[in-house]
Amino acid sequence: MLRISKRVIATMALTVPLAFGVAWSANAAEKFKLGMAVGGNTCCDWMKAQGDVARALAEKNGWDYIELSNNNDPAIALKNARIFAQEGVNAMIQFNGQPASNPAISQAMNAAKIPVVTYDIADPGMYFVGIDNLAAGVAGGEQLGKVIKEKWACNPDLVVSAEGAAAGIVNEWRTGGMRTGLKKICPDIPAEKWVSFESQGDAAVGLPAARDLLAAHPDAKKMAVVGLNDGGVLSLINAAEQLGRADEVIGWGQDGAFITGDNVNPHLAGSVFYFLEGYAVYAIRDVIAPIAAGNIPPLKAAADNPASRVEPCPVSAEQAKAVPAMAERVAKLLEAPAGTTAYSLFCPNK
Amino acid sequence: MRLQGWGTGLTLLAVWLLLIAATGLYRPDFLSHQTVLAVSFTMSIVGVMAIGQGLVAISGGFLDLSQPAALIASSLVAVRLSEAGLPFAVVILGAVLTGMAWGFANAVIIVGAKLNPVIVTLATNFIGLAALYFAFQLAEVPLGSAIHQFGRAKLFGLPAIWWPMLALVLVVGFLIPRTRYGRRAIAVGGNRMAARARGISLKATRFAIFTAAGGFVGFAGVLFCATSGPFNPSSANALQLNVIAGVILAGISLSGGRGNFWLLLLSVGFLSTIPTALVFFGLSSDTQSIFQGLILISAVAFDGYRARRGTP
Repeated sequence: MLRISKRVIATMALTVPLAFGVAWSANAAEKFKLGMAVGGNTCCDWMKAQGDVARALAEKNGWDYIELSNNNDPAIALKNARIFAQEGVNAMIQFNGQPASNPAISQAMNAAKIPVVTYDIADPGMYFVGIDNLAAGVAGGEQLGKVIKEKWACNPDLVVSAEGAAAGIVNEWRTGGMRTGLKKICPDIPAEKWVSFESQGDAAVGLPAARDLLAAHPDAKKMAVVGLNDGGVLSLINAAEQLGRADEVIGWGQDGAFITGDNVNPHLAGSVFYFLEGYAVYAIRDVIAPIAAGNIPPLKAAADNPASRVEPCPVSAEQAKAVPAMAERVAKLLEAPAGTTAYSLFCPNK
Repeated sequence: MRLQGWGTGLTLLAVWLLLIAATGLYRPDFLSHQTVLAVSFTMSIVGVMAIGQGLVAISGGFLDLSQPAALIASSLVAVRLSEAGLPFAVVILGAVLTGMAWGFANAVIIVGAKLNPVIVTLATNFIGLAALYFAFQLAEVPLGSAIHQFGRAKLFGLPAIWWPMLALVLVVGFLIPRTRYGRRAIAVGGNRMAARARGISLKATRFAIFTAAGGFVGFAGVLFCATSGPFNPSSANALQLNVIAGVILAGISLSGGRGNFWLLLLSVGFLSTIPTALVFFGLSSDTQSIFQGLILISAVAFDGYRARRGTP
């Protein structure tokens, strides 16, 4: 009798936790799991913020959340996608600034039947959520064109493009788009006045090349600057300040990284906000939440027919004073009702 | 001793003048004050970093590969002290001490664990950059602050940041062969066993060299953040190759024991002129990497040739 009791007790001791474990596992298996691969480029604080917002929204929805960093490296981005597949995520969001690995990621995730949302850089196998980079570039160029028309009667000495070749097609869309927008307002600027340099999208890294370009155009005084992002445009502005030629430099950036706060360079006349930190609102509202609810939306992978479109918000430096800095924007975005976008909260030009 | 490396110096000067003359003939507007400013701005930060790198090299430490992370750490301290409204002298002191602390930490690992300095500094650069990424994403000196104005000021027609570089190269170049500290560094780099037999402490010398080298990187951090605008933890990575190339071209032996710091003015000046000249020739300044790579290979080959022949 005593032996039987011992056996019963031993069996129960093993079975009860096992049963709880199985039940817990079943419950956990039912819980929606979201994987997020952040860009991981140290250039930009919005890349980290994109992960912070996605995590907070996933937690609000009661989902499991896994975050990995692509370290701005295409091979790591692919490895991360495979890790997500092994972890059994139900959906994945990524920002992959080095899109060479996107086809391989797309193939791997399609094979695992895991839908992928990609920000800003389209891939045929992924839901596109993001800005229309070309439209954002054109919008910024038009705004700068209006300033140039008013101040210099569309007759600058030089129009400088701060390129960021590593961004590939995005650079062509944004920087080229800005040139297109500027030409719409000022169509008669001669071809020889359009010059460019490689800024690498980084104010500090692009600075020496910007100084060299200015040295090679010593007579240019009235200079309009466009570029991949605010950082690239700032590299030319800073170079002009150092060479004593900043009096008549007017820049208009993209991404809004350096147009808010109390340290805005007076020669940066404006920028185009994308409110990059808040992209997860679009992705979760229009793609991930429907998937979690079992209503898989049709795949929309093109930038001109996206799963969710982020509106560009061109602002002058004066208007940008009303836009809070990124940390405050993230806090307010997460306090807002579900689905509220940063554009609707903060863009002064809606 | 005093004439050490002047053959290298004359060669460098000739090649530099040839580059200036060729570019000036192709584009006469190359010979302008704007070009001088562009080149001298680029020279300033690389020049000060090259002093630190040169000290490590001449003492037989081969290379300090943690300079980019040390520079950014020092720049970050300078930015934070500026934001706190502290006097410019305190800002400089804070950055220099940060650089020295970095160099001291390198020395602790190298001497304590008896590890190869190149491997250790490569590792501390990785660790440092990762730690810096946790600490900040972007930093910038406050517009209009003393350090911001210093980064844009001119003195006798040249950037204000160029003059400290000149002074430091001249002073270090003067002191290295003429002081006990400098001669010990050269002795340790030239022949470690002989130096030890003469009673020179290798550990103490290595601590002193790495700490001093870190101090120069710390000061370069002041010049960097004064001019760079917004920077991130990776913003100084591109400087590394230029600094190493400058040291090698100046004839400061990577295997230690010989070198003339004054020649850094010529090597760094020449290297800083190349990208500017390329733009005047209509080539993109990012093609400079091709030329720098070729020059670096030539310089290392020449350094090896001199070492084999035993000539300075």
